[in-house]
Amino acid sequence: MQYAIETENLTKTFRNGFTALDGVSLSIPKGHVVGYLGPNGAGKTTTIKILTTLIRPTSGTARISGIDVMTSPREALHKVGALIEVPGMYEYLTPREMLTYFGRVYRMDKAGLEHRIKEILELVKLSDWDDKKIGSFSTGMQRRLVIAKSILHGPEIVVLDEPVLGLDPKGIRDVRELIRQFQREGMTVFLSSHLLAEVSEVCDSVIFLDRGKVVSTDRIENIGNQLQSRTINVRFLRPLAQEEATRLMSVPLVEDVELIDNGSARLRFDGRPETSHSILRELLLRDFPVVYYTPEDVGLEDYYVSVMSDDRR
Amino acid sequence: MTTGPSPRYDAKADLQDTYLSFRFELTKHLRRRRLLIVAALAVLVPLLFYAFSVETAATFAAVSLSFLSVLIVASAALFAGDAICGEFEKKTALLSFPTPQRRTSIFAGKYMAAVLATLIVVAIYYAIMMLQVLHLYGAGEVPSGLAQSFASAAVYSTSAVSVVFLLSSVLQRSISSTIVGFLTLLMVLPVLSTILTSLEVEPWFIVTYAADLISDSVVANGFSFGPGRFGVYQPDFGPGIAVMLTYTLAGFLGAVCIGSRKSME
Ligand SMILES: Nc1ncnc2c1ncn2[C@@H]1O[C@H](COP(=O)(O)OP(=O)(O)OP(=O)(O)O)[C@@H](O)[C@H]1O
Ligand SMILES: [Mg+2]
Repeated sequence: MQYAIETENLTKTFRNGFTALDGVSLSIPKGHVVGYLGPNGAGKTTTIKILTTLIRPTSGTARISGIDVMTSPREALHKVGALIEVPGMYEYLTPREMLTYFGRVYRMDKAGLEHRIKEILELVKLSDWDDKKIGSFSTGMQRRLVIAKSILHGPEIVVLDEPVLGLDPKGIRDVRELIRQFQREGMTVFLSSHLLAEVSEVCDSVIFLDRGKVVSTDRIENIGNQLQSRTINVRFLRPLAQEEATRLMSVPLVEDVELIDNGSARLRFDGRPETSHSILRELLLRDFPVVYYTPEDVGLEDYYVSVMSDDRR
Repeated sequence: MTTGPSPRYDAKADLQDTYLSFRFELTKHLRRRRLLIVAALAVLVPLLFYAFSVETAATFAAVSLSFLSVLIVASAALFAGDAICGEFEKKTALLSFPTPQRRTSIFAGKYMAAVLATLIVVAIYYAIMMLQVLHLYGAGEVPSGLAQSFASAAVYSTSAVSVVFLLSSVLQRSISSTIVGFLTLLMVLPVLSTILTSLEVEPWFIVTYAADLISDSVVANGFSFGPGRFGVYQPDFGPGIAVMLTYTLAGFLGAVCIGSRKSME
């Protein structure tokens, strides 16, 4: 099978002796949306810079659509569009001028290019700004413009390095919607982030990177299964009497109780759905005035921390 | 949407990329108004020399042209100073490098844009000066060495751009290469020529000495702007042009080699 993105044992040691990547092997199938997740300094940008030929690996290989980026950069770069870190902007130019230049570099013909520029500016909601100076754009608009530039030539693969960096909640939602759209169009999306929540909504799978090594690779639904909560939030109709509070502690299967302002409580249990059900039945049998009963949202972040190595700090 | 991959060594594609980069850079020069400002100077500066009423058209031209090298240097520093390091410093390289073209093509195009901008300045300067000569002295008085002078100015333009371009590939910041370039061509090299001259060594190999051809072609041992020149030696046309061409080529090639190896790390 030919992968959209494939690396074998990528290693990068910088001139100062720091090893940012230590044997990273990735195989990203075509048409997938894959999150590349890791804390600050994990090596995400370094990987992406190697994939886009900005830097050379110390060892290992990287292929885009089966084309080696080191030996055939021109062919490889035709297949991919990329947003890397926070690029500088041609502040004195307009989006149209900038995109026209890059379109010509990709050898798009005049008519097709004009049409495409219109299309993608509409997609990133910059249609009204096509002839305004980029220097006057907000952070979000600049980010969207670079995303537009990355898909200008209709690449099979798009690589986005922290695409929502610096965006407000609405901007984040817009970018998420864009990524879904790319996926519908059959593109492969490789998306780096340091927030699991950010990628979990759009990705098919997630690769966890920590200190230059891939520590885990999982499909999103598998991650969901591991996110079972071990805490239940229970709210009562009225504050519990002292006696009721004591009785709550003795409900079978409840491992621990934390009372919150007497009107609600957090119950610890083993996390199994069956146990959760039994506890609820016990509470009702014992006449606890339960108003609602919800497993606590374990954050994806907890999972994230559990995947990343413990000996950090 | 694209016409597909091109072979790895594709001179035609490289030339096309160079041309695209050249046009793109020129657009930037226009939008940033820099070209406009320098062109305005090329119109205004020669007009100042109306104030000097000199006897012959040749002397008038030589006086006026003695200032042209300053403008050439300013233009080269302005247009070539950020050509390479600016791409890294401002991180626009993150946009332009991951595209299917060689960095050498990008830089070559930027170099050509700086050369063209400077040549435009030179052409305007000569045009204005010619009009003045016609106005003040009449058509019969047009100095004979003007063609050689113009050729020298054009070649000096390419060599000045090359020198700054080379600095732009070596230094980290645009502002440094602009200033260092400006000072090198207006102070350091002329002072060096002066020192060599006083040691009775002809500084034939120094580009700014060769640039004296710009006014010397019109009036032998004419005028020169900048630190004192004792006029013991005078550049010869052929060797002078050869020296300037050498700087042009060496600076350009050196800069493109260094620039395209510069790391994005
Ligand atoms: N040129 C360089 N020289 C030395 N070390 C570097 C260089 N570039 C990056 N590093 C180091 O390599 C490590 C990985 O950097 P990288 O930018 O790939 O991280 P990242 O995963 O993108 O992090 P972030 O979430 O902060 O963007 C970091 O510790 C960084 O300090
Ligand atoms: Mg990064």
